[in-house]
Amino acid sequence: MNKSAPVVEIRDLHKHFAGIEVLRGINLKVERGQTVSILGSSGSGKSTMLRCINWLEVPDTGEIYIGGDRMGVKSGGGKAMSNRELAAMRARTAMVFQSFNLWPHLTVLQNVTEAPIHVMGVSRKEANDQAVALLEKVGLSHKHDAYPWSLSGGQRQRVAIARALAMNPQVILFDEPTSALDPELVGEVLAVMRSLAEDGFTMVIVTHEMEFARAVSNEVVFIEKGQIIERAAPEKFFTNSDSERVRQFLGRYRTTTA
Amino acid sequence: MQSSDWITLVYAAWTTLWVSGISIVLGIILGLVVAMLRAAKIPVLSQALAVYVSLIRATPMVTLVLFLFVIAPSIGWEVDARVVAIAAMTLNTTAFNAEIWRSALTSFSREQLEAAKAAGMTTGLTLRRIMLPQMLTTSLPGLVNEMSLLVKSSPAIAMIGIVDLTRVTNRIAAVTYDPLPPILAAGLLYIVIIGGLVRFQRIADSRAKRLAM
Amino acid sequence: MNGIEMLWDNLDVFAAGLQNTLILFGVSSACSFMLACVIAFLLEGQDNLFRRLVRWALDLMRMLPFLIFLYLLYYGLPNLGISLDVWSAGFIALITYHGAYFAEILRAARTALPAGQAEAAYAHGFVNSNMYWRILLPQMVMRSGPLFGNQLVCLLKDTAFLSIITLMDLTAAASAVQAKYFVPLPPFIFVIALYWSITLLVEALLRRLGRRAQKRGLVHE
Repeated sequence: MNKSAPVVEIRDLHKHFAGIEVLRGINLKVERGQTVSILGSSGSGKSTMLRCINWLEVPDTGEIYIGGDRMGVKSGGGKAMSNRELAAMRARTAMVFQSFNLWPHLTVLQNVTEAPIHVMGVSRKEANDQAVALLEKVGLSHKHDAYPWSLSGGQRQRVAIARALAMNPQVILFDEPTSALDPELVGEVLAVMRSLAEDGFTMVIVTHEMEFARAVSNEVVFIEKGQIIERAAPEKFFTNSDSERVRQFLGRYRTTTA
Repeated sequence: MQSSDWITLVYAAWTTLWVSGISIVLGIILGLVVAMLRAAKIPVLSQALAVYVSLIRATPMVTLVLFLFVIAPSIGWEVDARVVAIAAMTLNTTAFNAEIWRSALTSFSREQLEAAKAAGMTTGLTLRRIMLPQMLTTSLPGLVNEMSLLVKSSPAIAMIGIVDLTRVTNRIAAVTYDPLPPILAAGLLYIVIIGGLVRFQRIADSRAKRLAM
Repeated sequence: MNGIEMLWDNLDVFAAGLQNTLILFGVSSACSFMLACVIAFLLEGQDNLFRRLVRWALDLMRMLPFLIFLYLLYYGLPNLGISLDVWSAGFIALITYHGAYFAEILRAARTALPAGQAEAAYAHGFVNSNMYWRILLPQMVMRSGPLFGNQLVCLLKDTAFLSIITLMDLTAAASAVQAKYFVPLPPFIFVIALYWSITLLVEALLRRLGRRAQKRGLVHE
């Protein structure tokens, strides 16, 4: 791993589904400690781009680098990585999903310790201690032995975030983390994500939460029809964007929330 | 019917239980193996297994038991009726369990698998820690239902000489010339055994429902 | 003597066996289904002692092995003065036993019906039995399609138990031909193939009926 390389680098990413080109040449670099928000309308390709980073979707062409190391393809060979190599690379990242995707047969604590113990080989005691600390950080200390079915959506997502943090990832990928939540539960999840940004975690967040993106990101990226239309600091993006399309998008947003 | 006859009946019930029991355990494990082999889509094997499952599910237990019993000598098998009985019942219940496991495999939540992938878990680890524990819980009602179906078709083994709960009624009747009491008694014991399995199935059902969140 | 010759020479035995199996299967399927509809109708309405007893009897029947029930009818009843021949015992056993199973399937479908169905029928002035037969039952049947298919296959397989009380069905035919030559493979393989074919036909037929029901909007997937 190269300490000075960007945590995530995407070069000329192309991907199509069933004849439709969803990603048309994405180029992006995410440096350490940055929080990057990805905005765009539905079908713009933003989730697909995110899922290519940890190879849940396989790109057609283009390159993805995590911490300077090539993802999905063996270095020097050009051959596809084996499942084991992929798993090892994925262990460097973590993902928080729209539908939480907790493992229902495990308790909250076990959900958080599962990957550290079985993927990273951490001892049970160490994993437990870390899980306790993380669950406290996300505000769920009292729920160690609860099962996912007894939790609210907001609580489940916070467990998912703790689970992601337990992997000590180089980058956390958020795929519309609050889109499936009831409005009154969104706040508690955003609060946790905000504190992570303040702690200096590297985060890539696909979201519809404009105010959050504005308040928390170092950089905002707008994707439309598979291409990056604008990349800017939040202030510039939200008040004085160069792109007509972005202003149109924000205009619609403003009228619905005004 | 005397108390000694009751003892004979209980022994025979035990025979039914252990012969069925071994077949049940083997059948659950082998059924899982078959389902996974089919899911792996290995060229000739997967189709052959599909044919096996379809064929055996359509074959009556009596026919299967008799068939294995009469071909045993030609395969060089020791004609031990108990081995044939267990083999026939295992062959039968494996096919049914394979379908139950297959349904659990194909309907497993893709989202949980993605979370496991994203966390860096290998396929083997995902299978062992995430899929199998849950598949066991969700498949349990179906597997237990199949257990009671197996016990209900177990009388077929009486045909090849095994003194199970069905055959013993003949034995007792041969002495007392009074077939009704032993048949009723055997019926009662079967109801107790299968009733127990039905109870078990209800508990398994409620646990499975909870996992579905 | 090779297998094909063996089968050919004894075609009459197999044909007789197949015919008996099919008669048993066909008649029992139809009759047990009708019996189940009647039982389900008897269960319709408020809970009372009679209905509770009927449900209890259904549960009991489903915890009993078929062969024991057959033995009860064929060997046990003579004690009480009722002597049944093989065919009668066979039919009564198959029809009542599987009637109970079909009835249970219908009962489960009944509880799954939206309450509005019965209410709408009552609101339109349907008399109880009319409402049941014309409105509720068809829906209960349509909803249970695949379960009926499974149960029919069970019925077919239970006919083989009748070979034990010396009814010359398909399994008995295999046994008889095998005993003649002591070459077990051909006759049994032939008979197993026949059982398989009947099963595939029944399943195909039910799928056809199911598709017709779907077309008419009676079933929604």
